[in-house]
Amino acid sequence: MLSISSEINRESSSMDREFRKKGNQRMMHFGNLDESHPYYMIAAARMSQKPETKPVTVGRIYWKFAAFNFIHKRIQETDGGFFENLGTLLAEKVRAQEQQEGPLPKRKDEKTEEEEEETEDDLSEEGTIEEPVEALLETDSDRDENEHATNFLAESMGWNIEELYAALVFMIQHQIGYDVSKECELETLLNYLQNAFKVDNDVHERVLDETRNMEPPEMHLNVEVIEAKELVSKDSNGKSDPFCALYLESAPTRRYNTAVKTFTLSPVWEEHFELDFDAAETVPEKMSKVKDVKGVRGLVKLAKEIAVTATTGSHDNEFIGRCRIPLKDIPTTGHTMWYSLEKKNKSKRRGVVKLRLAFSAEHNAQVAAQEYRHLIRVLLLHEIETQKIEKYCWCGRWSAPAEVLLLQHSAQRGLLARNVTLAQWIEYARIHQEHPLNFTVFNKLAIDLLRPMENGLFSPDETKLFWDATKKLLYSCLNSVRKIRRLPAGDKNAMTQLSAILGILSSISSLKVPADCNLFPAKMYSWFLDPDEAPSVLQALEYTVEQGGVEWFEHILNNNFPESESDEDALKHHIKVIQLIRADLQNAIDNYDKLFIKRINLPYARCLYMTYEKRISDMCMIITEDICGRLKRIEIENADVELNLGTTLFELYLALQRYAILGQVLCAEGQLEGMKVQSYHEWFRAGVAHWLDIAVYKALKRIDRAVEFDTLQAVDNSVQYSSSAVDTLTIFYQIKVFWTQLAWPDIEGSYTFIAKIIDDICKCSIAYADKMAKKAELTTDLEQLSESSVYEKKFVVSTAWCFAINNIDYIRTSIGPLANDLGLQNIVDALAESKTQEEAERCQQTLQLIIDNATDTVRNKIIELLQVVANKMAPAMNRYLMEGAELIDTTSNSMERLLQYLDSNLTTLHDYLNEDNFERILLVIWDTISESLFQLVHNNLERRRPPSFYSNLHRSLHTLIRYFNIGADEAANVRVLEKIEHLLELHGLETAELIHRYHQERIKEQNELDESEYGQITVKAQFVDNSLNIQILNARKLRPVDSNGSCDSYVKVKLLPEEKFADVKLPKTHVQKENLYPLFDEIFNIPLTNEQRNMENAIVVFELKDKDFLRSRFMAEAFLPFSEIAKTGSDQRIESLEQIHLMLSRTDVIQALEHRKGDNQATEFLSKLSSKAERK
Amino acid sequence: MSGNNSTTVGTLRGGNLQNRNSQRSTLLKVVILGDGGVGKSCLMNRFVSNHFDEHSFHTIGVEFLNKDIEINGEAYTLQIWDTAGQERFKTLRTPFYRGSDICLLTYAVDDRTSFKNLALWRSEFLYYADVQEGSTFPFIVVGNKMDVPDSEKQVSTEEAQAWCAENGDPPLVETSAKDATNVEAAFGAAVAAWAQLEARLERPLVEDTVDLSKQQSPHRSSCCMPVSGAE
Repeated sequence: MLSISSEINRESSSMDREFRKKGNQRMMHFGNLDESHPYYMIAAARMSQKPETKPVTVGRIYWKFAAFNFIHKRIQETDGGFFENLGTLLAEKVRAQEQQEGPLPKRKDEKTEEEEEETEDDLSEEGTIEEPVEALLETDSDRDENEHATNFLAESMGWNIEELYAALVFMIQHQIGYDVSKECELETLLNYLQNAFKVDNDVHERVLDETRNMEPPEMHLNVEVIEAKELVSKDSNGKSDPFCALYLESAPTRRYNTAVKTFTLSPVWEEHFELDFDAAETVPEKMSKVKDVKGVRGLVKLAKEIAVTATTGSHDNEFIGRCRIPLKDIPTTGHTMWYSLEKKNKSKRRGVVKLRLAFSAEHNAQVAAQEYRHLIRVLLLHEIETQKIEKYCWCGRWSAPAEVLLLQHSAQRGLLARNVTLAQWIEYARIHQEHPLNFTVFNKLAIDLLRPMENGLFSPDETKLFWDATKKLLYSCLNSVRKIRRLPAGDKNAMTQLSAILGILSSISSLKVPADCNLFPAKMYSWFLDPDEAPSVLQALEYTVEQGGVEWFEHILNNNFPESESDEDALKHHIKVIQLIRADLQNAIDNYDKLFIKRINLPYARCLYMTYEKRISDMCMIITEDICGRLKRIEIENADVELNLGTTLFELYLALQRYAILGQVLCAEGQLEGMKVQSYHEWFRAGVAHWLDIAVYKALKRIDRAVEFDTLQAVDNSVQYSSSAVDTLTIFYQIKVFWTQLAWPDIEGSYTFIAKIIDDICKCSIAYADKMAKKAELTTDLEQLSESSVYEKKFVVSTAWCFAINNIDYIRTSIGPLANDLGLQNIVDALAESKTQEEAERCQQTLQLIIDNATDTVRNKIIELLQVVANKMAPAMNRYLMEGAELIDTTSNSMERLLQYLDSNLTTLHDYLNEDNFERILLVIWDTISESLFQLVHNNLERRRPPSFYSNLHRSLHTLIRYFNIGADEAANVRVLEKIEHLLELHGLETAELIHRYHQERIKEQNELDESEYGQITVKAQFVDNSLNIQILNARKLRPVDSNGSCDSYVKVKLLPEEKFADVKLPKTHVQKENLYPLFDEIFNIPLTNEQRNMENAIVVFELKDKDFLRSRFMAEAFLPFSEIAKTGSDQRIESLEQIHLMLSRTDVIQALEHRKGDNQATEFLSKLSSKAERK
Repeated sequence: MSGNNSTTVGTLRGGNLQNRNSQRSTLLKVVILGDGGVGKSCLMNRFVSNHFDEHSFHTIGVEFLNKDIEINGEAYTLQIWDTAGQERFKTLRTPFYRGSDICLLTYAVDDRTSFKNLALWRSEFLYYADVQEGSTFPFIVVGNKMDVPDSEKQVSTEEAQAWCAENGDPPLVETSAKDATNVEAAFGAAVAAWAQLEARLERPLVEDTVDLSKQQSPHRSSCCMPVSGAE
C-alpha cells in the first residue's frame, strides 16, 4: 500500500511541497500520520491558508459585491428591481428628499447661546431699501388697486385744496427756524408745491400774489423755563432765591417773570410762556428784504435775541446772570437746551438754565392736524408718482422740498409731535391701502404712538382715527403674513419688512382696543372661524398663520393633480403634496420661525405644522387605509402591477415618517398625543404585511432566475461561491435595507415583523438550497455527458457541486448576521424597557429559535446535498472495491484506482469547499464507502467467493481507514467498521486458517465460561521432549443424551490443525456406560515430530462422544492449547501434575465454512461437525 | 433537525447521518388561534416543555417553539406558532397564517364568547392563509380549561361537537393545559388529521420542477417546507 501512496504523492508533490513546509510545525498532532498521506496534505494545505478573521456582516458581503452586481443587473431586471426599489433605491430617494427638505430644526433647549445671538441679525437696522419687494401682495387678487388709484388723488384733493395750497404758499414765504431752506430755494419749493398740488400756472400766480399781500403770520415763541442749576450763591446762607425774567430785546420792557424759588441753587420751574412778536415793527423790514436777502430768516430778524435774567431776592433783585439766544438759532421744530448764564466782565461761571424753545402760530389744532394730513396725502402721492416709488418701498424718506413743506406746516400751525405722528399714521395707512408702503415706517410710528395712546393723550376723535387707520393697517399686516409664501425666501428686505410687521402687531397688541372698535370685521377676515369672536391681535395673527397654511395647502392641491386615477398616481400625488408642505415648513423654520418667536412670541413653524398635520393626516390616512385594505391577497398574475404601488406606498410612508419626526422636534410633549400623524405607521400595517408576503413570492421567483443564470463559477478569485449566492443575499440585504428604512416605530410590531422576516428568509434559503441542488446536478450531468465516451463511466465531483454547497452554506452563515442587522437586539432591549424583562426574554427566545431553526434547516439541506454527492460517488467506489476484491493477486491496481478516484474528488472538494463543508463531506463519504463495503461483504457472503476476495477487501478497508484517518477520529462510524472488519477478516482467511480460527475462537469461548450446561472434563497433560502425555481423568455433569436419561460416553483426543497432525494416531478412552460422571483414568502417550511439537497455535481437543448402538454421537468438546501444556523432564510423572479442568462446550455457527460448498476440506469438516450436530 | 446547538457536532457526524436518512422528519407549521386568554400559550408550553405557568403574560404578536413528535411511526417536527388573541394584534399575527399546515382553533370551556368566536377565527385564518373557503384544511378544535369545575363550564362537549359537525367536521379535543389533560392528544390529533388529508389528496409530487403555483395549492402555500416523508 505504501507504494500506492507514494505514487499519489509524486503526482501532487510539486504543488504540495510548499504547503507542507508551512504546515509542518502545526501538523504535530498528525504525527502518527504518514506524511505522504493524502489527508495529511489536505490538512496541511488547509492550515497554510490564512484564516478569515473579519466578522461577517451582511452589509460587508453586500458591498463587496456591489460592483459585481452592477454588471449583473439582469437578475434584478427580471422583476423590475423589486427589492432594490424598496431597499437601497428607496433609501437613496429618501436621502435625496431629506437633503432637499433640509435638516430638522434643533429643539429649543439644544440651541446654543451663540445661535440666539445670530438671530438678532441686522433686521433692526432699517436702512434704505431701494429694491422693490415684488412679492409682497403684488399679485393679490383681493383688491383692484389700479381702479382705485385714479380716483384717489382727485378725492383727496377735493377738500378746499386751493385754500391749503394758498396756506402753504404763504408758509414757505414766511419760513421759520434756522435749519430749513438751506438746500431748497424758495423757487424750488414753490415749483414743487405747484406740481404736487397739480395747480396750473394761472392759479399759482394768483395765489402767489394773494399771499404776498397777506400779513405775515402771527407767530409766538413758546418758552418753557424748566430748571437751572449750579447757580452762583447770592445770599449769606450760601443759597439764593432765584427767579427768571424773559424778554425779547426788541421789546425789553415786556418782561415775563417766573415764580421765585427760595433757598436753592438748582431751582425747578417748569413754567410756560408765550412771547409775542410785534408785527408792526417787523413786517415792513422783513417784507422789504424779501427779494434781495438770500435765505430770508424771517422772524429771526425781528427779534435779535431773548434774554434770560436770573435775579435774587424779592425786593432788591440782584442779578445772577443772563443768556442771550439769537432767534435764528432756534430750529423750526424747536428744541430743549441747557444755556450758560453770564454777567458782564465776569468770567466766572454763573450757572446754567434749561429752556425749551419753539415757535408756534395761533391755530385751531384740529384744523391744523387735518390740513397736515391732507398735506401728507398730497405730497406722498406726488412723491410716489414723481419718484416712481415702488410698492412696499417707501420708508418715510421725503424729498427735500416736501420735507420743508411738512416741517413748515407743522411748525407754523403749532402741531405737536404726537399729532404729527398720528397724522402720519393715519395718512400712511390710508395710502398704504392703495400703494403699500414699507412696513418699517409704520413700525417706527407705532412705537412713537404707544406712549400717547397708553396715556390717553389723544382726543376721542383722534383715538377713533387712530383705530380706524390701525384697522386698515392690520389687515395689510395680516394679509402679508397670510401671503408670506410670496416673499422671496431669505431676502433681507423682505425679512426687514416682516420684522416690521411683527413689530407693528406686537405694538398694537399691547394697546387696549376700545370696546366699540371691531378691529377684525368678519367681512374682511373670512377665515376667522367664529365671526362673533373679537380675537386679540395675537390670536388674529395665529388664525392668519393657520389660514396662510390652509390656503397654501389648497393652493398645492389645486395646482397638483394625480396623473391618472390609479392608486400609484394617487400615492405619488400625496407624496408630492407632503413634499411641498414639508418644503414650506422648512422655509418657515429656516426663515421665519425665529423672527416670529422673537418679535411676537408666536411659534410660527409649530402653528403651521399643526395646521398641515390635520390635513395631511386626514388625506393620507384615507388613501393609505384604502389601498392597504385592498391589498390583502396576492394576485399572482397582477403581482407586477402591484409592485410599483408597493414602492410608492412606502415612499409615502417615509414621507409621513419624516413629517411625524419633524413634529416631534417642533411641538411640545402634550401636543403630539392628539396628532394623527404620529401613528402614521398604523395605517400601513396591512401594507407592510402585504409587502412581506409579496417579498417572499418575489424573492422565490428571483432566486429561480438567479439559479438559472448561475454558471456555478466563482464570483471572483477571492471567494468560493457563485453569482446566485450573491444574488440571493442581495435580496436579503435589500429586505434588510427596506426594514431599516421603515424604522417601524412600534416595538411590538417590529418584533413580529422581524419574526416574519426571519422566517421568510429561512423559507427562501431552503428554496434556494433545493434549487441549487438541482442546478448542480444538471450542470454536472451536462459537463460529464461529454466525457461519457470514456470507457469508465463514473461520477466525478464537479466544481459545480462544490459551488452549490458553498453557496448554500454562504446563505446559511449569513442568516445570523442578517438577523442581527435587522436590529434584533434593539427590539429586545426596547421590549424589556416597555414591557417586562421576562416578556422580552420570551420574545428573544422566539426570535432566536426562528433563527436557529432557519440555520439548522438549511444546514440539514447541506448535509442532504453532501449525502447526494457521496451517493453519486458510491457506484464508482463500489466498482473499484469490487474489482479489487475479485482479483486474487494483490498486484492489481484497482485499490490504487479507488484511492486515485477518491483523491481527485477530495482534491476538488477541498479546493472548492470551505473547511466546514469539506470536513462534513469527508465524513459523509467515509460513511458511504464504509456502508458500501459492508453491503459488498454482506451481499457476497451469499455467493461463493474465495477467501482472497475478502482478504483483499480487508486490506482495502485498512487502506481506507488510513486514508480517512478514521482512527484519529473517535466519533467515526466505529460500529459499522468493526462489523466489516470482523467479517472481512473471517472471510478473507484460507479455509484451514479459518477452521483454526474457529477453534481458537472456541478456546476463547471456553475460557470465558464459568459453568457449562455440557459439563466439564478433568485432564492432565505434559510434554516430555517431543512426546505429549495425556491423562484423561474424568468428566462431570454430562448432559444425558440417551432415552434412559444417561449416556454412554468416551473421550476422543484430537490435535489441531488436523492436517498438520494427519500422521498422528489419535487415542480414545473406553466407553463408560450409563454414567453422567464417568471415570476414565487413562493415560496416553502421543509421540510428535519436532515440527509438530513446536507448532504455534496447536490445540488438543477432547471430544466427548456418546457410544450408541450403531455409531457414536458428538456431545461436547474441550480445548487445550499446546501453549498451556507444561513442559517437564522425563523424570516427572504425569500423576504428580495438577489437574486441568476444562469446560465442555459446543457451537452451532460455522456459517463461513458452510458457504464453501466446493471445498472438500470444508465439506468434510462441516459434515463432521454436522454429524456432531445430528447426533445431538 | 435538532434546534439545540450543543448537539450540532453530533448531528453532523457519523452515525446520525444514517438516522437522518432512515427517519426524516416531516416539518409541519402549526398555528394556534383563539380569543385572548383561552390558554393558547399554555397549551403550547405544556406540549413543548411540559410546563405550566399560572401567571403567564399576554403573548406579544407571536411566539414560536419547535417540537419533535412521532405519530404512527412517522417523525414530525412541529413548528408551532402561538399567536396573540387580542384584537389589537390582528395585523401582527395574520402574516403568519400563510404557509401553515395545521390550525388549532381554541376556546375555553368556561368562556362562551371564545367559543362563539371560533367561526370568526376560522374565517380570519382562511382569509389570511389564502385558503379557499370550502376546501379542506386540517383544523382542530381545542376546548381548553377542562380543569374548571363543572359549575363554571359554559360550553358543553355536545355543543362543541355540534359546531364541529357544521363546520367541516374537524376533530374536537377537550384539554387542560393546567393538568396536562389531552394536550399531547390534541397535537397528535392535529398531525393525524393532516396526515390523513395529505394521504387523501395524494397530490402528484412536483418536486422535480420548481413550481411557484404550489403556493396556491388548496391548503398549503409554503413552497419551502420539504414535503418529504411522502416518498
